[in-house]
Amino acid sequence: METQKTGRERKVSEVSREQRDVKQRGEGAPSGGDLTLGMKVEDLSAFYGSFKALTDVSIDVQANKVTALIGPSGCGKSTFIRCLNRMHEVIPGARAEGHVMLGQQDIYAKTADPVVIRRRVGMVFQKPNPFSKSIYENVAWGARINGYRGNMDELIERSLKHAALWDEVKDRLKESGHGLSGGQQQRLCIARTLAVEPEVILMDEPASALDPVSTQKIEDTMDQLKESYTVVIVTHNMQQAARISDYTGFFYIENMGDPGRLWEFDETEKMFSNPDRKETEDYVTGRFG
Amino acid sequence: MPRETFQQELDGLTSDLLDLGREVEASLENMVRAMEGHDADVARQELGVDVRYKTTGMDIERECMILQARQAPVAGDLRLLYTVQSLTNHLVRSGTLTEHICHAIVDTEGCERDEDLETSLVEMARTARNVFNEGLDVFENRDIDRARDLQAKDDKVDLLYSEAMNLIANPSEGGGGAPEWRMRAALMVHYLERISDHGVDIGGSTVFLVTGERIEDAMRRYLDRNMDEE
Repeated sequence: METQKTGRERKVSEVSREQRDVKQRGEGAPSGGDLTLGMKVEDLSAFYGSFKALTDVSIDVQANKVTALIGPSGCGKSTFIRCLNRMHEVIPGARAEGHVMLGQQDIYAKTADPVVIRRRVGMVFQKPNPFSKSIYENVAWGARINGYRGNMDELIERSLKHAALWDEVKDRLKESGHGLSGGQQQRLCIARTLAVEPEVILMDEPASALDPVSTQKIEDTMDQLKESYTVVIVTHNMQQAARISDYTGFFYIENMGDPGRLWEFDETEKMFSNPDRKETEDYVTGRFG
Repeated sequence: MPRETFQQELDGLTSDLLDLGREVEASLENMVRAMEGHDADVARQELGVDVRYKTTGMDIERECMILQARQAPVAGDLRLLYTVQSLTNHLVRSGTLTEHICHAIVDTEGCERDEDLETSLVEMARTARNVFNEGLDVFENRDIDRARDLQAKDDKVDLLYSEAMNLIANPSEGGGGAPEWRMRAALMVHYLERISDHGVDIGGSTVFLVTGERIEDAMRRYLDRNMDEE
């Protein structure tokens, strides 16, 4: 039987286009639904002196999920992640505007203590940077200066287990952290971050300097970590973002000299199967530039 | 443009798929000609094509797997590879069914036939061929708005299917043709219905390729919106 066509009838492609436009207006962006919010960022802009590096970023970071940030170099991903625990302002002349809510607290409120914020929002850097101390002391150090009064041995074991390093180092806790392999050192840094019991863990390309086996261990670690923590990771490895994250944000600079923007943000599954915006598609398929 | 080699490989794969599709189209054309003209010689030309189509299909699927392993495709590239694999199956299956029908035409050469049933069969063959060809055009031109029309055309094939099966089950007194031919006609009716379905599915797969959505989801939303407006 022939389908009756009416004046109101729209083509399949038009319906699809409308849905895409709704997404781009942000109405379809992941709102959390039943999920708990880890951090809420509203209209965040970041500056280096008079240069605006990042503009108007709004994003909901879901608790107990991994959020990956991708994008070409210089588009503001690392600047953004450093704004999430007030590390950005450590650079002379750097500042941020906007709101970043951690639970009920605006971390940029005048009353907010950056040291407390950095304890609640920990960070793991690109290159492993263990202290010249024993494995034990590396993990204990942050907890100790934060006045931890519990059972330190238990804390060390718990942190190393969460970082998936315990089995490899439990018999040599007194040895230097520098004696570990690159991948182990990075997991030691993760354990050190965990030992101060943060709510959110920021990771800035944590596996970019590691070999594939170490990278896989870090990725497995992240999968475990999200059961207890909210994780935000910057990565240039597209497949890594696809493998480990629940949500993905694509940062992009439209024209040379413009500040970076959050161009598209959605569930990772959507971003890597059918992104809404052409620039995202070009980037994830490697046709960028 | 970065990934130029990968793009060339994808283009080559798409071209190979379309070549296979056009070959199956040609087989379908011969099948219809053989049915229209009771020409077993034309049907005979298609015997053995199945092996060739299956070999080509396996080559295309192997290339898809290699590209997935080497290039780690995502988004539109991934949907294209998925669609090519799916379409390869539709094309090869359609080619196989076409050969089955041509076999039946050759095997029943000279058998007495029922005129009404034969008329339905030929009409069904033409319509199924048209649906298949149009499905392939939809893919080649990414013309997804025509994909919806394919379903309506397939409905005609379904009606002819019912009509033909009714004639097979209830032959007119003194008519009905030779039992062997009637039995083969029942199989041909079934094969033609499947070929038409493959054509519709090729169109549906193209909607997924272009929009990332299943055609059923796109249609459901379209219908929901129309009902809301009413």
